Amino acid sequence: MDFASDIWYTLVRRFRIGLREPIWIFFSLAQPLIWLLLFTQLFKNLALMPGFPTSEYLLFFAPGLIVMMAVFSSAYTGFDMLQDIQFGVVDKMLITPANRYALIIGNILNALASLTIQILIIFVMVYIMGVSVATGAGGIILTLIVVWLIGLAFCSLSYALIIATRSQTALVVIANLLSLPLMFLSSAMMPAELVPDWVGTAMMFNPVNYAVEAVRPLFVSGYDWSSYGMGLLVLGVFAAVGVVTAVLAFRNFGK
Amino acid sequence: MELIVTDKLTKIYNKQIVAVDHIDLDIKEGEIFGLLGPNGAGKTTTIRMLSTLTRPTSGTASVAGYDITRDSRKVRQMIGYSAQAAGLMENATGRENLDLFGRYHHMDGGLLKERIDELLELVNLTEDANRLVKTYSGGMRKRLEIATALVHQPRMLFLDEPTLGLDIQIRVNIWEYVRKLSEAGITILLTTHYLEEADRLSHRVAIIDKGKIIATGSPEELKSAIEGDAVSLRMPSASAEEQAATFQKTEKILSAQPFVKKIMATHDGVNVYVDRADEATPRILRLLEKEGVETASTTVSRPSLDDVFIRYTGRTIAEEAARNNVGKGGK
Repeated sequence: MDFASDIWYTLVRRFRIGLREPIWIFFSLAQPLIWLLLFTQLFKNLALMPGFPTSEYLLFFAPGLIVMMAVFSSAYTGFDMLQDIQFGVVDKMLITPANRYALIIGNILNALASLTIQILIIFVMVYIMGVSVATGAGGIILTLIVVWLIGLAFCSLSYALIIATRSQTALVVIANLLSLPLMFLSSAMMPAELVPDWVGTAMMFNPVNYAVEAVRPLFVSGYDWSSYGMGLLVLGVFAAVGVVTAVLAFRNFGK
Repeated sequence: MELIVTDKLTKIYNKQIVAVDHIDLDIKEGEIFGLLGPNGAGKTTTIRMLSTLTRPTSGTASVAGYDITRDSRKVRQMIGYSAQAAGLMENATGRENLDLFGRYHHMDGGLLKERIDELLELVNLTEDANRLVKTYSGGMRKRLEIATALVHQPRMLFLDEPTLGLDIQIRVNIWEYVRKLSEAGITILLTTHYLEEADRLSHRVAIIDKGKIIATGSPEELKSAIEGDAVSLRMPSASAEEQAATFQKTEKILSAQPFVKKIMATHDGVNVYVDRADEATPRILRLLEKEGVETASTTVSRPSLDDVFIRYTGRTIAEEAARNNVGKGGK
């Protein structure tokens, strides 16, 4: 009971504070919009190539963008906690009887809640631009499940990194260094059939690629349970590794 | 009755940095106990161990009979901790800050609301309760911060450098609140490197240096142990060698005098401890002048806690603060 209440109040207070940060609105609206406009223009003619799965690049790119935004915004969530650590708030929380695990889980859940809103905004954006999801409401829910798993994994790793390093620079450098290759070594922007062999091989080891592959058919063609199942499996393991890492990092906080 | 007892409490970081070295403390229920020492002396580490935040490397400590390692949950219910850092959520209101800490203490909603109103009243923040903390002044933050440590009505309050970096008027104002809390029956352990703060607030003081307790007692006891006044002689600035030579010469001249009780080097001259400074000062100056030792100025002081520190360590706390000014924050 106390455990649930500790999670709940951590989640609520963080969420409320998040709403007061205008920068958050920027990330939710401006960033995906910029990507959308840039990429659909840049790669417009790709869709004319033989072997391209859709006739409109936007329809192909929309699920890729959703996965991409999930990765990017999760990767930087550690910043929230950095401020709390530097301001001594985490120390003060840790000497209350509140459960240590509940504190970190509450933070992760808040990151997922914010992420969900961000992703729903992107759904609205691409809908306005003319994309309709082939599988409808069911597809949107299945997409959100994939987004949550990505969020769990990357938010947790981001928290773990900030707890271990206490360094803003380290988080920026590592998040930047990893997120772009993770995107380009996936089929977010380019179909797997059209990339060089070595990239295709690299994709097989990239969890982000499994997310894109799981979600794209829901947008483009219809339910594809084998790629969706594979995605859930890979991302499930990845998310579990992330959460365990974060919990372990937090357990040793300050000792 | 003792509320806190420590037995050879020790913390070693990374197997080599001894932050706290076998300290024995006993803090009585109801008193304000000051832990005075320069930055890096081990004050914050001591408080972090006692508040269950950091695990001791060896030794034990208990709060109201509960062991800080084994019964940490029990200990946490009884203590409040006011951090050296702001310890507040900037983008939350004063009331929200208090509310969250109450929730983490699993307090019932109605009771918590009453308690929050009471605390806001106590620290004089009722009118500002619904403003965001980032709009608060330094003194308001500190008052709110102390209030967040009190939501669950702890028996024991840890204050880590409660007035660090605050203006003197605000500092005096915070002292008033601390006294008020003490009168309400809360036992308080405060760390500080401000002599005046330790002197004016604490019932008893422990002086800590390099992880070791070097003296414990009431401020009066500690000061009277110094026996007498200090005549501080400032010498004209010179190289370190010249300074050392001057000190040796001064010591040689003065130690022969029966009225001189103790001579110590300071960073810019010499402190001479005597029974009566008013009579001794002219004699000292005459003696030194005869032997050709130049003095730039003299000041006379009644013993302070700094003199107690000097007596045991040969350094002043202010000098230590300057030397440690690299910002390691006393960890």
